[in-house]
Amino acid sequence: MFNQILWWIGNAIEALILARSIKGKLYEKYPAFYFYLSTVLLIELLRFTAYTFQPSLHRLLYWYTEYLVATVGYGVILEIYKHALKSSPGAARIARVFLLGVLAAVILKVVANALTNPVWSPATTLADLERDLRAVQALLLFVIVALLAYYRVPVGRNLKGIAFGYGLYVCVCVMSLAFDSLPAFELQPEWRYVQRIAYLAALSIWAYTLWSYRPIPQPEIESEIERNYKILAGHTMRVLSRARSFLKLGGEL
Amino acid sequence: MSQLLPYLVLGLLLLAVLAWWVWGAITHRGAAEVLSPRQHRSSVRSIGLQRDLGERIFGPQDWDFVSRETPSEIQRMFQRERTVLALTWLRRTRLQVSQVMRAHVAVVHQSDDLQIATEIRIALSYFLFLFLCNSLIGWVWLHGPVRTRKIVRQTFQWAAQLRGVFEQLMARVDPASCRVAGTNFNQGTVRN
Repeated sequence: MFNQILWWIGNAIEALILARSIKGKLYEKYPAFYFYLSTVLLIELLRFTAYTFQPSLHRLLYWYTEYLVATVGYGVILEIYKHALKSSPGAARIARVFLLGVLAAVILKVVANALTNPVWSPATTLADLERDLRAVQALLLFVIVALLAYYRVPVGRNLKGIAFGYGLYVCVCVMSLAFDSLPAFELQPEWRYVQRIAYLAALSIWAYTLWSYRPIPQPEIESEIERNYKILAGHTMRVLSRARSFLKLGGEL
Repeated sequence: MSQLLPYLVLGLLLLAVLAWWVWGAITHRGAAEVLSPRQHRSSVRSIGLQRDLGERIFGPQDWDFVSRETPSEIQRMFQRERTVLALTWLRRTRLQVSQVMRAHVAVVHQSDDLQIATEIRIALSYFLFLFLCNSLIGWVWLHGPVRTRKIVRQTFQWAAQLRGVFEQLMARVDPASCRVAGTNFNQGTVRN
């Protein structure tokens, strides 16, 4: 019953966010994110239909669609990367290096796993695959968010909401899917609520931050830099001049 | 259980970085003002100026005099007051280095020719400096500035390194200004 309530509330918030995006034309600004949200909503409805009319199909459908949702989620990360680091070429450069590193590490791990463990079991593999997909997402988000935090890149409210909400959800997914693989947790139905509650929290964040379009603030500091760099150069000249006078006097410099 | 560990660590790391990001956004709302390069430059300069003050606070001269010429009560009073002074100086130095870092990150994230290796070096130097500075604050608070003198010398060296690396980076970010300054210096045309 509780799960049903959470499910309906989730769908209602999703529909609300999508309706707001149509009204404010936000989907034009963040197409990958709204595509992700629409996919999730459609899949939820599809699962509900399957659960009602064809319960035997539901379990298999659940895992395949979970995998699909996780894959579409990569579009959201790409969108966060693209928008957040657009006006920060320096930070974007570091991000590219680290993201390529993550990609290379993942490919290596997949190849290594395929070589060492050739036995395939679809049911466990899909669950593990989702966990691994989410883990890679968590890694990518970690790199992007760490750079945004370190360089204090100005990010608009919309994008901040998307990144924070999705980051929170992915974080909970990674941890709960990892615990899911333990027999002690697998059989506890309450454990399944954790992901759903996290998704509801993410939806609430998105509903609040994506209510209307807020452009990404352009760093005013850019013009400041030009202006201040002249002052900066003046300071450098004075410092160098003083250094020269130290040399003349035989001082420590 | 051990197979869970990487996933848990990853989840916690992401959670921590998200919290750091949100916290940073809340506490540095007026960052643009704080991060202006003008302030950064003055911070760089005042770090240099403060070095003399730090050397005096932690230096042996005053303590040698007090321990030689005054009774134990005065010595204790001197140590108490010097501890307060040293802690204030350390906190101020930490604040100024942080301002330099803030200005640095505000400038370089827009720079096209940013050097990743240099960036990592700066970040490591900065975090090491913070670690050492905070450790020193603890040491001074516990043992007083006289016994902490040796460790402080190491802080000076790291601060100087950080400053050197930062100035190198500024030259890369805005080579034109630095070139102008350098040329003028070489030709001896700079007037104070």
